[in-house]
Amino acid sequence: MDIKKAEEFMTKLIEEGTKFGFEDCEASYADDISMSVDILNGEVSSYEQSSDQGVSFRGFKNGQMGYCSTTSFDDAAVKFMLESAMENCEVLNDDDREFIYCDENNKNLHFSQLTEAYEKNTYNRFAELGLKLENAILALDSRINAVDYLSISCSRGPALIINSKGLHSYRDTDGMSIFAGCHATDADGSVKSGAHYWVGNDIDKFDMDKFLAKLSDNILGKMGAKSCKSGNYKVIMENEAFMQFMSAFLGNTFATVMQKGLSLLDGKEGTKIASDCFTLKEVPMYEDALSKYPFDDEGVLTTEKAIIDKGVFATAFYNLKSANKAGKPSTGNGFKSGGTIGTSPTNLLVVPGDKDFNALCEAAGEGIILTDLSGLHAGVNAISGDFSLLCEGYLIENGKKGRPVEQITAAGNFYEMLKQIIEVGNDIINVPAGLGEFFTPSVMFSNISISGES
Amino acid sequence: MFNDSDCLRILEQAMSTTADFAEVFQEEASAKSVSLLNGKVIKAGTSFSSGTGIRLLAGTNAVYVYSNDSDIEVILKLAKEAAQAIKGGTKSQMAELQKLCRTSAAYVVTDPMSVKKSDTVDFLRKSSDYALGYDPLITQVASSYSAVDRLARVVNTRGVNKEDQTKRIRLSVEAVATKGNEKQSGRVAPGTMRGYEFIDEYPIIEKTQECCDTAIRMVNAGYAPSGKMAVVLSNGFGGVIFHEACGHALEATAVGIKSSYFTDMLGKQIASPIVSARDNAKIKGEWGSYETDDEGNESSDLLLIENGILKNYLVDELGSRRMNMKPTGCCRRQDYSYNPTSRMSNTYICAGESTKDEIIANTEYGLYCTQMGGGSVDTSTGDFNFAANEAFMIRNGKIAEPVRGATLIGKGQEILKNIDMVGNDLELSAGMCGSISGSVPVTVGQPTIRVSSILVGGRDAE
Repeated sequence: MDIKKAEEFMTKLIEEGTKFGFEDCEASYADDISMSVDILNGEVSSYEQSSDQGVSFRGFKNGQMGYCSTTSFDDAAVKFMLESAMENCEVLNDDDREFIYCDENNKNLHFSQLTEAYEKNTYNRFAELGLKLENAILALDSRINAVDYLSISCSRGPALIINSKGLHSYRDTDGMSIFAGCHATDADGSVKSGAHYWVGNDIDKFDMDKFLAKLSDNILGKMGAKSCKSGNYKVIMENEAFMQFMSAFLGNTFATVMQKGLSLLDGKEGTKIASDCFTLKEVPMYEDALSKYPFDDEGVLTTEKAIIDKGVFATAFYNLKSANKAGKPSTGNGFKSGGTIGTSPTNLLVVPGDKDFNALCEAAGEGIILTDLSGLHAGVNAISGDFSLLCEGYLIENGKKGRPVEQITAAGNFYEMLKQIIEVGNDIINVPAGLGEFFTPSVMFSNISISGES
Repeated sequence: MFNDSDCLRILEQAMSTTADFAEVFQEEASAKSVSLLNGKVIKAGTSFSSGTGIRLLAGTNAVYVYSNDSDIEVILKLAKEAAQAIKGGTKSQMAELQKLCRTSAAYVVTDPMSVKKSDTVDFLRKSSDYALGYDPLITQVASSYSAVDRLARVVNTRGVNKEDQTKRIRLSVEAVATKGNEKQSGRVAPGTMRGYEFIDEYPIIEKTQECCDTAIRMVNAGYAPSGKMAVVLSNGFGGVIFHEACGHALEATAVGIKSSYFTDMLGKQIASPIVSARDNAKIKGEWGSYETDDEGNESSDLLLIENGILKNYLVDELGSRRMNMKPTGCCRRQDYSYNPTSRMSNTYICAGESTKDEIIANTEYGLYCTQMGGGSVDTSTGDFNFAANEAFMIRNGKIAEPVRGATLIGKGQEILKNIDMVGNDLELSAGMCGSISGSVPVTVGQPTIRVSSILVGGRDAE
């Protein structure tokens, strides 16, 4: 079904919804069109192509918002949607009001960022590049036994929201990604695995040499790794690892989480929570970001803002509901999540310092570089901030990257760690995260407890 | 759902070039859910989804296309595009389509979809009311319920024409205790394929109290020590370690491409002789069960390990082609938008002979993990890590003080060999498992077991 037909169905939902007894209602449509090619052992092992559309509805009545979603767009679906949303409205007794919104000055929001380069994304191009990349990975080193996973994919998705208050908002985006994972066996039989990825929106901008150099570093650099002595170390968390670490605790900066009493940052806006050298910003329209967000899914315009400004917790992320509860304006972070309006950051940026990665190592003198953190979904207590994570990385010896280490755990507390940041590097990378990307350099901490050999 | 003749038209299009096998997977799923926070209903949702996935195989090459468009012409066009994309193989014939038959591993008296949401809200509110009045340290209680009714139909070029119905419900209660800046939680999250009678029979007050007690104990606990030590894993969700560290490495997804550390190990000793393990999808009414898998094969009760010897891998159709073994009826996918692959169902270490008390009494010093969090594993190296949500020290053969923040770290293949005591108290526990074919319901399980040595990542040195 094309978007015009979807809009007809949505308009009908809104009209019928109003007649059905909802004070306000809203319908949203999303389509996810994607294609991917997987390579294994010199062949295209899998090719996928898809189109997945859905409409969700929310209706407001007696202070409550009922939701329903469907992938079927006929008359029976209209009845099902309205009846289900009404049943949901009737059982809700949430004290905190959710809003269907339209800014009088911004009723028609339209932002298209589809690229011409997307047309280059064909099965043949992906297959050709994938096979070439697989060969190049295997040629890196005789210890690399197999490329376990190599996938090239692309997707594009239009999204439309209309509501009974007059909002008509349209946004679309596209992009592609390349992911490769392989394993290598050392002479002593020990096995190491490593992976790397690339995201972009133009296949011709993929730099294979750069990709191979990083993948090689990720896997071959770690051959022969062993544990190290337990103790407290100065630690450089490499850019990607730092992004993963921050992401595990990012929910604590959402007003919805704070208001539920599930974040220790509740009541801390305006207070010092991190070192002076640390600034985290949300930049929805960040120039280098693949997906930009001028407005959120509630029709609120987004703005660039510091979340942590030179160590001070400047603001939480608010949607209309949590902002209303706090008596503040929304920060434009109301995005759909799991069928309902939740909170999501768009593009995040850790403001870089002056030092490159080598200079960070030099400044550390002795310590540990953490490159991989495992079990972030399990080894952290997001509420208390406690973490204990299996890590890999390298020693820092005499101000230089030393031998690889593995089978160690880093343990501590997120909130204490924020205050132990002593340097922020300038080696920014972009990692896909949530709706957008996380742009971050490597970060150095004064003291982390590492468990390894006794 | 498309009728037989439409399915055949789709298959004909899919087989119009060089595929040697094609399959149409159709799915319809209805879901309802409700969530409470501190007694207030803050979320209530309903959804319906349907879609079609078409898979083509030519040797070990696969093409997968899907759409949720219900227009047969759109799906036929998609099948034709898929046929044009398949490489290798030779044009093959289709077998005659069998008569449609339906299977189900659900064991339902009262259909969960027929129960009013207000009844469920009343049930969940009992938990909130009890928890909030239990102890001043309990500051939050979140509870939720969800029900999913899924009908999946598989039609393929071998004549298979089957539907499998699953009806799953999941309940979750989480209590949070607060002490100063410390917040710790206790959680239960049972899942079942029984009907709503499971909810009616569920001891919600008793379980809520257990959540509160765990949260209070953990908020008062000191940090776990670091270092290698004996670890006793309690029955039920302790089995998540076997699932992650061993189960995934037995899936054809990893073994078929020789990236698993258990590749070419059939018949070999991979675990301690006191360890046997199964993957049994046929347990009626169990959370991870199904009768027909997502490629139309009958599910199985598969012996994975017998007295430490590796007996079977989990093999799907594509894996069977790579490994030259028969499929074991373990092919699963989250929904039609995922290309299916070999997955676990109800996977557990079988009961042994020791009692839990004997295991504790025989442990001079170690960690007793009573509630596990999630974890992850690298199936090429065996490296795994798991969080213990609730743990106690064992000193002089007795359970001693509670400790928090413990992570268990090791290599799957080593842990299996280091299991030196197996209890007689087998229990299963519901969870969700993520892999390349999406998130699927599974149960993990085990009796109480002891591992002679695991690296514990904690914060305190002892």
